[in-house]
Amino acid sequence: MNALALVARREISTRIRTKAFIVSLLVTVLLVGAAAFAPKVLDRPDKYTVGTVNSQRLPLEAAAPDIEFAWKAFPDEATARKALLDGDVDAVLVGGAKVLTDGEIEQELGVLLQSTNREVKLGASGVRIEPLRMESVGADSRYQAARTGIAVVLVLVLFMLLIGQATMVAMGVVEEKGSRIVEILLTSIRPWQLLGGKIVGLGALGLVNLVAILAVGVGASVGSGVATDFPPGMPGIVAGVVVWFVLGYAFFATLAAALASLVSRQEEVGNVMSPLTMLIMITYFVAFYATSEPTGTLATVMSMIPPFSSMVMPVRMAAAEVPLWEVGLAFALMAVAVVAVLSIGAKVYERAVLRTGARVRLGDVLRAK
Amino acid sequence: MLEISELRKRFAGGPGAPEGKLALDGIGFAVRPGEMFGFVGANGAGKTTTMRIVMGVLQADSGSVSWQGRPLTYDDRRRFGYMPEERGLYQKMRVAEQIEYFGRLHGLSGPRAAQAAAALIERLDLGERRGDAVESLSLGNQQRVQLAVALVHDPEVLILDEPFSGLDPLAVDTLATALQERCRGGVPVIFSSHQLDLVERLCDSVGIVSSGRMVASGTVAGLRAAEGGMLRVVVRDPAPGWADGLPGELSAEDDRQVLLVDAAGDGQEILRRAMKAGHVEHFGVEQPTLTEIFKEAVA
Repeated sequence: MNALALVARREISTRIRTKAFIVSLLVTVLLVGAAAFAPKVLDRPDKYTVGTVNSQRLPLEAAAPDIEFAWKAFPDEATARKALLDGDVDAVLVGGAKVLTDGEIEQELGVLLQSTNREVKLGASGVRIEPLRMESVGADSRYQAARTGIAVVLVLVLFMLLIGQATMVAMGVVEEKGSRIVEILLTSIRPWQLLGGKIVGLGALGLVNLVAILAVGVGASVGSGVATDFPPGMPGIVAGVVVWFVLGYAFFATLAAALASLVSRQEEVGNVMSPLTMLIMITYFVAFYATSEPTGTLATVMSMIPPFSSMVMPVRMAAAEVPLWEVGLAFALMAVAVVAVLSIGAKVYERAVLRTGARVRLGDVLRAK
Repeated sequence: MLEISELRKRFAGGPGAPEGKLALDGIGFAVRPGEMFGFVGANGAGKTTTMRIVMGVLQADSGSVSWQGRPLTYDDRRRFGYMPEERGLYQKMRVAEQIEYFGRLHGLSGPRAAQAAAALIERLDLGERRGDAVESLSLGNQQRVQLAVALVHDPEVLILDEPFSGLDPLAVDTLATALQERCRGGVPVIFSSHQLDLVERLCDSVGIVSSGRMVASGTVAGLRAAEGGMLRVVVRDPAPGWADGLPGELSAEDDRQVLLVDAAGDGQEILRRAMKAGHVEHFGVEQPTLTEIFKEAVA
């Protein structure tokens, strides 16, 4: 096995058995699972209880087949009022002419009651109305809510994983530099093997996290029935997320390693990483904004520019249909950026990691022969 | 043979010292296979800098390091064993796992690394701690692990910076024996130490470094011969004035008088005078200790 693979394997095997890794994996997976069930729990009730006092039932079931209705007959208005205040029924139809509610009626129920009432009365007088046919001329927006929901979850997951794994890379680099293990390591392997192994190993752990989250998210959505609202092309969206995570991680983790190699103590990591943390935060904010305006100018432009594209593009792809050429262009630009960052980052790391003691200045490292 | 010649290194200065610090000023020495070389010198004399340059952790401004007649390469160094001054181990990794890992990084196969690690754990009395995280070990045991890391790939050369510092006498013996075994197997060993008695006991040759230069080097016996011994004569109840006209320094201890004189002079004449003056209790040439040679050399 070559040195890079050995280093990567060590990163994986030492982290995977720590409590922190297992706990954080379980927590994120549970959260994503919960998020998949949340729409079912939080959505307006899909079930109404309607009372009647001296009234015929209205054909609500026929008008809204997705909704479940329960009927309750009351002997008089007084008992009906009491049941309303107790919350036993959502509305009571009195004498086919009046609806009693506790406070304002649920809009959906109100509209249904009014329209079915009209239909029944008109039908009784022999009028038949053809229902309106619906046809969209714009983008298919049936899945908009689900798309936005998926995009919001994605942006959170990508942000947490990217900043978490990049920080781990930085901490690992400083651990080795500060304890001088790096002096022994670099007499047996090359700097790029050590750096590469660390990035690949921790990236693999990030991927394990991501794939677990995606699997649980999709699985739980199917289980909770939310998946029926998912737009077509979900497999493509999921695969895209994985690819974009790999690109974004390679970019940010390499920068994290290069910056961390400038300092020798864990206490200095936060400080030296702050420009990078800022960059990830900005990427996150833009991506979050893109969940609500996926076709806006800002989101469109930022989804092309590396490294913002690493988070904005997958979010746009989830939130809306994105032309293929835009995805291709963003991918190509990001790939070029990753290669550039890898070559500069590896150089900085190689030159700085053996210079222990005071913080090394980035300018000095870049200028050095 | 490992040859270090004319190494120079100046560290960049800060605002307070624009000149920087001259750490190495043309240091040079050679270590043969199977030779144990003790590297001594005051703090800041340049021992660590020299070792770091040999290991490629630091670049020299000028000078060269060669191994078996060729300039030392990265691939040569991979077959060296190195113990840096500041110990470096993964604190959370287990002992056996850690030694194996470094073995594999040096190119051993999985089974061979495991085998080598197991043998070293046995050899360095770490058997009971093999499954423990390094951070839970005492400093002495961590040092044993550090040595195991330097030895695991059966190195061709050993470069050890202060391997004995902070160890109890038993641990010193364990480590020393392990090093002597390697040395007898034909491996050149360079180690630095402030424990001069230990260097004297273990080393075939010694290099004394001061201000980045090698001020004295050679076999311990050779250094002693160069330094020259002192003749020490102890006479009980001597007649007063017996030593008048003799070279050296006379001192009194209770009813005895002690004459210390350069051994290069005529000892027989002194002996005759002493025997005439009283009862001679001691007459002999005393070799200087390494400590005395060291003090003399760096003075």
